Order: sequence, then C-alpha cells, then structure tokens
Amino acid sequence: MTSRLLWIVAALVIWAALPFFVPRNIADLLVFTGIYTIAGLGIGLLLGHCGIVNLAQATFYGLGAYSSAYCTVMLGLPSIAGFVVGAVISMALAYLIGRPILRLTGYFLALATLALGAIASALFFEWDWLTGGTLGIGGIPKLDLFGFVLDRPSRYYFFVWIVAFTCMAVAHNLVGSRTGLMLRSMRDSSTAAASLSVDLQALRTQVFVVCALFGSLAGSLFAHHASFVSTQSFTVDRSISFLLIPVIGGATSIPGIVAGALFVTFLPELLSKLGDIHQILFGLALVGVVVLLPDGLMGAYGRLQRRLAPRRSGHDH
Amino acid sequence: MTLSLVLQAVFAGVTNGIVYALVGMGLSAIFKGSRVINAMQGEFAVIGAMTTVLLLTKSGWPYPAAIAGGALAGALVGAFIEIAFVRYMAGKKASEDSFLLLTIGLALTLSASVLFFIGRDGHLLPPIGGEGVLIVLDAVIQFHALWLIAIGIGATLLLRAFFHRTTLGLSMMAASIDPDGAATTGINVARMRTFTFVLGGLLGALGGILVTPLIAVDYTLGLNLTLKGFAAAVLGGLTNPLGAAVGGVTLGLVESLAIIGISSSYKDVVAFTVLIVIMILMPQGILGRAGRRGG
Amino acid sequence: MSLSSIAKLAGVAALVGLSAFARPSGALAQTSGEPIKVGAIVSATGAGAGLGIPERNGLLLAEKDINAKGGIKGRPIKIIVEDDASNPDTALSKANDLIFGQKVVALLGPSLTASTVAVGGVTHANKIPQIAFTGIGPAVERERKCLAHVLPPQRLNAQALLEYAKNIKATKIGVLHDAGYGNVVMAELRPLADKYGVKLVAVEKFEIGATDTTTQAAKVKAAQPDAVFIIATSATPFRNVKQVQITQPVVAAIGSSSYEYVNAMGSAADNITIPEFVVGEDPLPHQKAFVDLYKQTYNATPKNYEAAAWDAAHIIAQAIAKAGPDAGGEKLCEALRGPYSGVLANYDFSADDMTGIPLSSFVYSKLVGGKYTRTPFRVTQ
Repeated sequence: MTSRLLWIVAALVIWAALPFFVPRNIADLLVFTGIYTIAGLGIGLLLGHCGIVNLAQATFYGLGAYSSAYCTVMLGLPSIAGFVVGAVISMALAYLIGRPILRLTGYFLALATLALGAIASALFFEWDWLTGGTLGIGGIPKLDLFGFVLDRPSRYYFFVWIVAFTCMAVAHNLVGSRTGLMLRSMRDSSTAAASLSVDLQALRTQVFVVCALFGSLAGSLFAHHASFVSTQSFTVDRSISFLLIPVIGGATSIPGIVAGALFVTFLPELLSKLGDIHQILFGLALVGVVVLLPDGLMGAYGRLQRRLAPRRSGHDH
Repeated sequence: MTLSLVLQAVFAGVTNGIVYALVGMGLSAIFKGSRVINAMQGEFAVIGAMTTVLLLTKSGWPYPAAIAGGALAGALVGAFIEIAFVRYMAGKKASEDSFLLLTIGLALTLSASVLFFIGRDGHLLPPIGGEGVLIVLDAVIQFHALWLIAIGIGATLLLRAFFHRTTLGLSMMAASIDPDGAATTGINVARMRTFTFVLGGLLGALGGILVTPLIAVDYTLGLNLTLKGFAAAVLGGLTNPLGAAVGGVTLGLVESLAIIGISSSYKDVVAFTVLIVIMILMPQGILGRAGRRGG
Repeated sequence: MSLSSIAKLAGVAALVGLSAFARPSGALAQTSGEPIKVGAIVSATGAGAGLGIPERNGLLLAEKDINAKGGIKGRPIKIIVEDDASNPDTALSKANDLIFGQKVVALLGPSLTASTVAVGGVTHANKIPQIAFTGIGPAVERERKCLAHVLPPQRLNAQALLEYAKNIKATKIGVLHDAGYGNVVMAELRPLADKYGVKLVAVEKFEIGATDTTTQAAKVKAAQPDAVFIIATSATPFRNVKQVQITQPVVAAIGSSSYEYVNAMGSAADNITIPEFVVGEDPLPHQKAFVDLYKQTYNATPKNYEAAAWDAAHIIAQAIAKAGPDAGGEKLCEALRGPYSGVLANYDFSADDMTGIPLSSFVYSKLVGGKYTRTPFRVTQ
C-alpha cells in the first residue's frame, strides 16, 4: 500500500515539474494531451463500458468551443459563461438526440452518431453568422483566474490537467459504482441485464450525456488555448481521432485514455521530423499498435508488469 | 421545381447511389464474411482506380486490360490484408474495436501513401461509351453513367446469386454464421475469410474504376466513399449486399432530391436526418432480416 | 588535457570536417557568417497539400536565390520549413517550436486561413513578423499589424470576378460554390453584386469533398444565367457544369487555378476564365525571370502559390536587411509595413487589409483546351 502511495506521489511530482523542464512546444503538446484526455474519457466510457461507438464527439467539442468563443468574443461575457453555456447546450442536445438514437444497437448506432456528427459539421459551416464559418472566430482571450492570466502553456497546463483529473475521478466513480456494474452487464449480455430490471435506456442516455459534457469541456478548454476556432477543427475526422484514443490506450482503463491521448498528440509530432512520409508512418503505427498490442497500450503495460513482478504469495494482481 | 429538374435529380441520385452501393456492397460482403467493419473500403476504390490509371497511362495497356488489372489489384490488396493482419488478430481473439482500429489505420496509411507516391493530382479515366450524353426533357445523363448503373445492378444480382447458389458463396456464408459448424463439414474457415476480403476488394476497386471517369480520383476520395458506403451498407442491414444496393440508391436519391426540394445549402443536414429517421423507423434495415440487429 | 577539452576539440574538428561536405548551393561562397533563421509553416500533407507543396518549392527557390545574390547583408538566410499537415493545432505547435525553440526572427506561412489565425495568436503576442500565404481572414486579423498577407482578401477575389462579368456584359450570374472557401467569397460577393449591377439568379452550394454536384449545376442552368461563377477548390463542379451542357462562359475563383485541377477537369477545362496573377505560359515582363528560374530548377511551370511564397521570402529578406538582422520584432515589423513590387502582385503592407493588392494586379487567364492562356483584359483603375 505504501509503495503504491509513493508511486502516486512520484508521478504527481513529475507531473507538476514537467512543464518547467520541457521546451515550450512540448508543454503545448502536453496541454493538448490533457484536452484530448478529457474528450477521450467520454468516448472510453461509452466504448469500454457500454460497447457503443460514438462518432459524434467532435460535435460536442465544437459546441463547447464555439460557446466559449461566442460568449467571450461576441458577447463579452466572462469565460465561465462559455464553459457553462457549452456544457448545457451539449448535455441538452445529447439528451434530446440520445433518447431516440440510443434505442439502436451496434453499427446502426455508430452510423447514427456519424450522421449526427456530419449534420453538426455541415451546420457549423453553413451558419457562419454564428460560427464564422471557415474564417472562424479569433481573439478568444486566455483564461484569467482571479487576475492570474494563463497565457503560457506552462500555466494553462495545470488548469487543463486539474480539470482532466476531476473528469477522471468522475469517470472512475461511475465505472466503480453500481451504475458501472449495470453498464457492463448491459454490454456483455443485455438480455440478462434486462431480466434484472435494469433500465438500459436511461443508463445509456446518462453515459451519453456525460460523454457530451466531457466533449464540451474539452472544446471550451481548446478555444482558450488556441485563441481561435474554425470549422475545420470539428469535422468527422476529429471524431475519428477521438475514437482512436480509448481504442489505442485500452478502453476500459482510465490511465489507458491518457496513454491513448499521448499517442495521438505526440506521435504525429515526433514522426513529422521524418519528412512528408510521416502521415504514412502514423497510419502504420496505428496498425502496429492494434496488431501487436491487442489490449491497447495499457493492456501491454499490464502484461509487462505481470511478467516483471516477482511471484509473491498473498498478493493479488 | 420543374419536371426536368426532378428528372435530373433522379439521374444524379441513382448514379451516385450505385457508386455508394458498390462501396457498400463490398463493406457488407466483408462484414458478412468476417464481422469486420472495413473502414478502408473507400481506399479499395482508390487503389483500383489508380492502378487502372497507371496501367493505362504509364504502361500503355489497353483499357479493358487496365480495368482488369485495377480490379485484380483491389482483390490482391484485400487478400493481403486478411492474410497479414486479420488472420493473426482473429487468432488472438481480438475485439471488434481492434479490427476497426486496424482498418482505420490502414485507411490513413493508404491515403497518405497515394499522396506521397502518386502526388496530389486528380486523375480521370476514359468514359465507357465515350463522352456522349443522353438528354431527356432537358435532363442530362452521360452514357458512362448509364453503363455504371447497369454494371452496378448486374454486380448486385451476381453477388446475390453467388452467395445463395454457388458452393463457394454458401460456404462463405456458413463460415461466418457458424465457423465451428462449418469447419466440421470440411469448410476451410480461414480461406473463406480470405475470399471474403478478396470479394470486398474487388467490389471496392470496381466501384472506384467506374466512378473515376465521372469524377477524378485523388488521395482524398477514399474517406468520402467509405462514409457513404458505410451508410449504404448499414441502411441495407449490413449483411445483405442487396440491401446495400437499395441503401445506396436511397441515400443518393435523398441527397439529390433534398437539393432541389429544399436547398443545396442544407443537403447534408436533410440527407443525414432522413438517414437517422429511416434507421429509427426500420431497425432491421431497409430490407430487414429477421434477427439482424446491426451487430 | 581533460576529457571535456578533448571532446570540444573533437566537436569542432567534426564540424569543420562536416562543413567541407556541406551542400554547395553555390551561395555559401558569397555569404558568410551565422545564418539568419526564418521559419515557415506550410501544409505539405493533408487536404492543403495542393497549396503547401508549391509554396514550399517557391520558398526553397527563393532561399537559393537570395543566398546566390549575397544573402542578407552578406549573411545567408536559412528558411526552416515545417509541415502543419493541414491542421491548425499542428500549425500552432510548429509555430511554438520555430519561435521559442529555433528562435526564428520571422515566420512565413501557413497555407490555410485556420492555421494562419491560430499561429497569428502566437506571433502577434510575441511580436514576431509573419507573412501568411492566405488572404486576410476574420476581423481579429485586422488588429495584427505585423501579420502581412501575400494573397488577396476574399473581397478582392469577389470583385475580380464581378469585374470580368461587367466586362462581358453579363448581368445575370449563376454561382456554384463550396461550403468553405466558397461561403467566404459569397459573403463578400453578395453585397457587391448590386454595385456592379449584377443579379445573382442562382446560388448553389456543395460540400467540401463533394463527389458530385450535377444536381446543383442543373439548378444553376435552369436559372438561365449569362455567366456562371464557380468558387471551389476541386475539379468536380467544372466537370459537372459541362456535363449538364452549360455553354455560358465560366469564371472561376483563384482557388481552382492549378495544374492538378486542370488535369482532373479533363475535357471540361475549356472556356474558363480565372482572375489570378501568374500565367506561366505567358508571363508578364516582371514575372519572366522568376518563371524561367522555376522552370529551370523544377522542370515545371509555376503558378500563384509558388510566386506568393517566393515573394514572401524576398519581402522578409528585404525587411531584415533594412532593419538589421538583430533589430528585434518591432523594428522588423516597421520595415515590413510598406509597398513592395513582387512577382505575384504589387503589395502595400501598410494598408488596412495587410495586403494592399490593387485590382489592377489581377491577370485574367483563360483555359482553352486544357491550357492556360493570358487574356488581354486587365482592370483599369
């Protein structure tokens, strides 16, 4: 128990010190990692615990981002308004759309979410009086915490990751609670779950709404980080990237989401040093991960751990 | 909205619909045979089309031979993917999400490879039946489009006959519905799965080759076709290739009718909304199969 | 001798040895000293590759040219080119790396408006002059007085289209445009239409990456326009317009003007007029030297994006020479903000739109049988 605590403290110390020891663009990427972790968490909950493929996360990410942009730039409201408006709109939309489409199962549901994402993307482009279209909305101010302006990646990093840790705690609770148990029973055998009078629909809608909330938070954080939002950031491609995160990392584990977010953020950056071939290499890396590490990165890490840990009696792994 | 415009919309809708249908049928065939959602189905179209373009322009092959070459390329790449990746992963009992990630990774790799090795140009192929058009009531349809529709319908019927009448087709279906049972009757399940991918690759390549004379093929075409093909396949119930054909044509017609009926600005919004409504109202897919729940 | 001294000597020896094998650009002979580093971000991969690859070619050619002519006050210029993969988030990361890691004195690019605005946040906050390969975008860019643009604003592109319509006496115009770039130009075109006495009888939209626009083209034809505007970055609408038998003259926005699109248009690449700047087959006198050099080096004919990048590199080199290489961002910015006669166009970076290109800089090319030709039409002001 104590050694576990030591590991956690060590990890926290490294986490806190990191932005001060890395070059600025790496700190920048770490901020993106945090943002993608939050968005990926929602997808991971749906995928890992409900067996649902959600290809609409870019919609909620966009709603959060545009809400923050619109509230701060056009309406001159304080930043918190953007976060709240984005969250409320996203959760409401998720609830309204979720109720009918979550009745669908399997790939039908995946297609429905894809359709939702495509509709939202088309509207982001079309309603350019609201979103600025391809030109976008620029000049979004940096976040200001009681006078302390988060204008550098090394400062914003802490804010983003604290939000990320909070979301991870919420997700962890959801997963470990009775609700989580019911979700997994539903994923594995819906007839059995139904026989235990579990209200599947309500549960799935709940998780879908939580996923939308996380997506919106990530979007608002993104808006303040990039200071600029435009339609190209919220297309179906982005939803596919978000889907990759839990699948690469291992959808059922929360640290896996962080691993997946790191992969999706840092690997393209590292590969770009190799010239125009980097896009091909990224695709190959994805193939490599899925073929060689079928449980995702965390699955592989877990197996590595078990192999390296000395056999001790009385310990469960 | 004149009759002429409606007719034009129907022409365009059916033509596009058959293209979506060809991609969807390949996707459907692969899913039917292996339960893998092939996110790179559109890339088979690009592979087929680009190979035909290269054989025709760089190697100087005659057009029919180049088309055969392109179709073969699609089939071979399909076989390669099954043998190199899918078989290995199936042996490790990989989850459906893993297969999806595999095909997404392959799609990204292929699209980037086309850009890297062939460049960013779009390429055209000569249309079948020449550049001529048929004009009915002021609505225009190219001869090539008519050929495309005919070949597409032919392919659909052939595919249906293949799965229900030929030994190979029946074996493929058996291998996917009940691998253990099929194995006991002497069906080589792994080989059936390879044939499934070969079939998917062939259909995808065919779709690409047929559509290229109408719209140039380039490195970005794959993803668009995959998304439309996926919609066509799911609408049709996912394991019914004939359903994919109906799904594809439905999607194509909804799109073009939305353009003239509502406005071109909201075409995607309308088309995808109709898609969602169809799915909610017809949970078995448009051609519904008992017990088919979309996976 | 200590280990560290040996190491240092070895390092210097290695450097000296390696520099003997350095790429002889023919330029290092005339330039000496520490290279002046200028950063550049282009979309060499992804959807924007059609812009980024020609821009990169133009930049590298300009770098060679500048160094061959003695560099910047004798010191060579080094343009460090990064790829943003058509993604504004990546552009932001690259900008951070170039500015804080590589310590460049100025930034050229990016290729796409979204990336430009994202990167502009960083260059503006840190007073790094930037020359973007885009027309000026959202309102926030007008406050960025150190962010110059070497391509015309969409308002000017819209005007150029309308000027031609006026020239051919077309009063009823049908428009076919895409959802991205097209929407932006339309927003500028609509209010201008009245001023030019032009009625927009049909305005049809298609999504980016559309595989078919036949139905929209048919709607445009049904409105019986005198001329058709196509505002897109794809060859598909051009093919569809010809397929539905539209015989009226087609005027296309500059975004469609590239050899890749022309090849993809096939037989539809005929009777299409494009207001642009560089017609490599028949360049204006002041463009000839650049076009010849490009043809010699790359064995291909340049067009607008290559020329824009070439100009940008020369503009920043001139500004650095004027202000001095160690002048710092603000002085460099002041040196930048003035008129410049480039290959692409005549600029004036002190103008409000940070571009200053006049309508008279537009050259109207016409596609005839798949080949670009230069029409004599110019806008007189």
